[in-house]
Amino acid sequence: MPYQADVTDLAYRYDGSFPGFLCCLFESFAARELPAAVLAPDQGQLSLFGSRNIPTDPAKAARVARGLERLGGTVQDRIATGFLSDDPDKDLILLRFARLCFERGPGAARMLGDPDVAAAFALARAVGNEAHLFIEFIRFEERDGMLGAVIHPKNRVLPLLVRHFCSRLPDESFLIFDATHGMALVRRPSGVAYLRMERYLPGTDEAEQDWQRLWKRFYDALTIQERRNPVCQRTHQPKRFWQDMCEMRPVPVPAEETPGKMGC
Amino acid sequence: MDLAEKLEILADSAKYDVACTSSGVDRAGRRGSLGSCSAAGICHAFTPDGRCVSLLKVLYSNACCYDCSYCVNRRSNEVRRATFTPRELAELTIGFYRRNYIEGLFLSSAVLGSPDNTTERMIEALRILRQEYRFNGYIHAKTIPGTDPRLVEQLGLLADRLSVNIELPSEASLQLLAPDKEKAAILRPMGQIAAQSAQSRRELSVYRHAPAFAPAGQSTQMIIGATPETDFHIMRLTEGLYQKYSLKRVFYSAYLPIVQDRRLPALTTRPPLLREHRLYQADWLLRFYHFSAGELLSEAEPNFDPYLDPKCSWALRNPAFFPVEVNTAPRVALLRVPGIGPKSAGRILSARRQQHLGMAELKRIGVVLKRAQYFITCNGAAPAHGTRREIAGALLDPKAFGVGVQQLSLDDFAAKPLPEAAPLVHELAGQGMEARQAAELVRQEALSCLTKQM
Repeated sequence: MPYQADVTDLAYRYDGSFPGFLCCLFESFAARELPAAVLAPDQGQLSLFGSRNIPTDPAKAARVARGLERLGGTVQDRIATGFLSDDPDKDLILLRFARLCFERGPGAARMLGDPDVAAAFALARAVGNEAHLFIEFIRFEERDGMLGAVIHPKNRVLPLLVRHFCSRLPDESFLIFDATHGMALVRRPSGVAYLRMERYLPGTDEAEQDWQRLWKRFYDALTIQERRNPVCQRTHQPKRFWQDMCEMRPVPVPAEETPGKMGC
Repeated sequence: MDLAEKLEILADSAKYDVACTSSGVDRAGRRGSLGSCSAAGICHAFTPDGRCVSLLKVLYSNACCYDCSYCVNRRSNEVRRATFTPRELAELTIGFYRRNYIEGLFLSSAVLGSPDNTTERMIEALRILRQEYRFNGYIHAKTIPGTDPRLVEQLGLLADRLSVNIELPSEASLQLLAPDKEKAAILRPMGQIAAQSAQSRRELSVYRHAPAFAPAGQSTQMIIGATPETDFHIMRLTEGLYQKYSLKRVFYSAYLPIVQDRRLPALTTRPPLLREHRLYQADWLLRFYHFSAGELLSEAEPNFDPYLDPKCSWALRNPAFFPVEVNTAPRVALLRVPGIGPKSAGRILSARRQQHLGMAELKRIGVVLKRAQYFITCNGAAPAHGTRREIAGALLDPKAFGVGVQQLSLDDFAAKPLPEAAPLVHELAGQGMEARQAAELVRQEALSCLTKQM
């Protein structure tokens, strides 16, 4: 650690928001210390360390945000992307990374041999990679002219999907439901919004089922039996994605109920 | 015949075409049209054979008037025949694309009457898709040898990537197995595409709205293992194609015996998947690692070692090149170290501007050191010492000895050699030896052989 700070045995508690995290960073500077842990409210109450509550102050957060801006896009992106991770240690990793960058300047982002930088890099890379896999494997279904999809990601990847799908489907309305975190990304002609959402009932539209059957038939026709290699398939397309991909599910059961409503 | 059945037949006929990439062009979406392209390419599904599905890969028609002996769609073969209409094809593409099933369309076709007639129909389908349905996604179109150059030009203005299949690695093989095709007819469109694509790029750099001709370039593919060409011959051919026709990709397809013919290998022949893998490894060495075909193989040693990847083979033949100092070596030298690829090399270059790199730093950077550690120095010191046998053990490619459970039925738990295992492992297992034992036996043999060579 090239900068002056005591590693304390104190844990910071904050409200889990990004401005809240920036305030933790502010506090770490003000008190010239590095916390032993940074805890969001949903993380275990039990801790070996004593804790301090860090209130979220928009003025302090804005000051830190301006500081990060001066460090350039790479550092900012890495912290913003890393913050979407569900790793329980992410806050501490990013805090240590940010402190190092403030000390050493924007070039610190390239010091991949440093443990703090390497950890932050790995965090951001894991989130980015997962987002890319969802760009590949999301399956939309059409309902009343709107496209809907369900995903079960490990990290909060929705903000990383917006740009790709808005550019790709410029005239469509769509909804992507993150079932793990109970969040939905909704894109309408009026704009993009993130909503809290409880559940999403899959469509039962017959025309939509036909499209899915057609796709499954195409998919099944593509396999070359002499080259079968399920291990290779799972490497590229891990099994956790299969539940939301229509071609990997058994043949869809014909609909019985009346068309369900979206649980918005 | 309903659309689903047509789709099934025409996808099944197209599945032996290897190229399913959607790379090479970056194009953002536009209001009023559907779709975008990403230069790196995006896969959308993976089939149980581990191949990616990126594009809606279909034939326009499989009613062929040619009689190439290696092909399922040849005239004399008894298969169900089908032909799309342009509108069916466009609606399928749009429907799949909106649901994020695919990245675009891969359109190939059997020869319907004549190459010109076939290409005209393909152009009509693509025109409807691009102009009426305003499709802005990726299109890969196959050029049929013998097509009029003016039609090839029209096709190139609608598609992102064009490809002409070179089919077999030599003219003699082509004459033997595909008597309707000739080498000159294959290379002519290739030359035309290369020239027009380069011209279009020059025009685009001056006029932003100049029409783009095949902006993602062209690719080709060839079947390996059906004819007796050596790996050296294939690599030299590949190198020539990259240099002369500035191809983006050359694909290799291990020959699958689907047709009984006295000119072809027997139906029981196993597809040479490990050889295909080695050729792809060498192909990457040509494109991203600054190797040349002459460095990898020679007349005296014309085939790749099944147990070693081509880069390790080169490293063992050139011990004088090593060790490479990670803190000072140029990128080209780093790329020659077994285990270091373009990603690791890039990270090393950027990290070493900030700090000195030792073994611990390299590990954190994410460099895979299993093989690399024997070929590098960090600040002048060698990070690892091994006996010749240990080094040889680290260099052997585990893929060649892969054994695992590949369930083909529910009660099938016996370990079998994996598809890409070395032919010798398959042979021993085929003779009744237990798969793991066979793989171990072959590995020990390869290990002692390699240790002696070093």
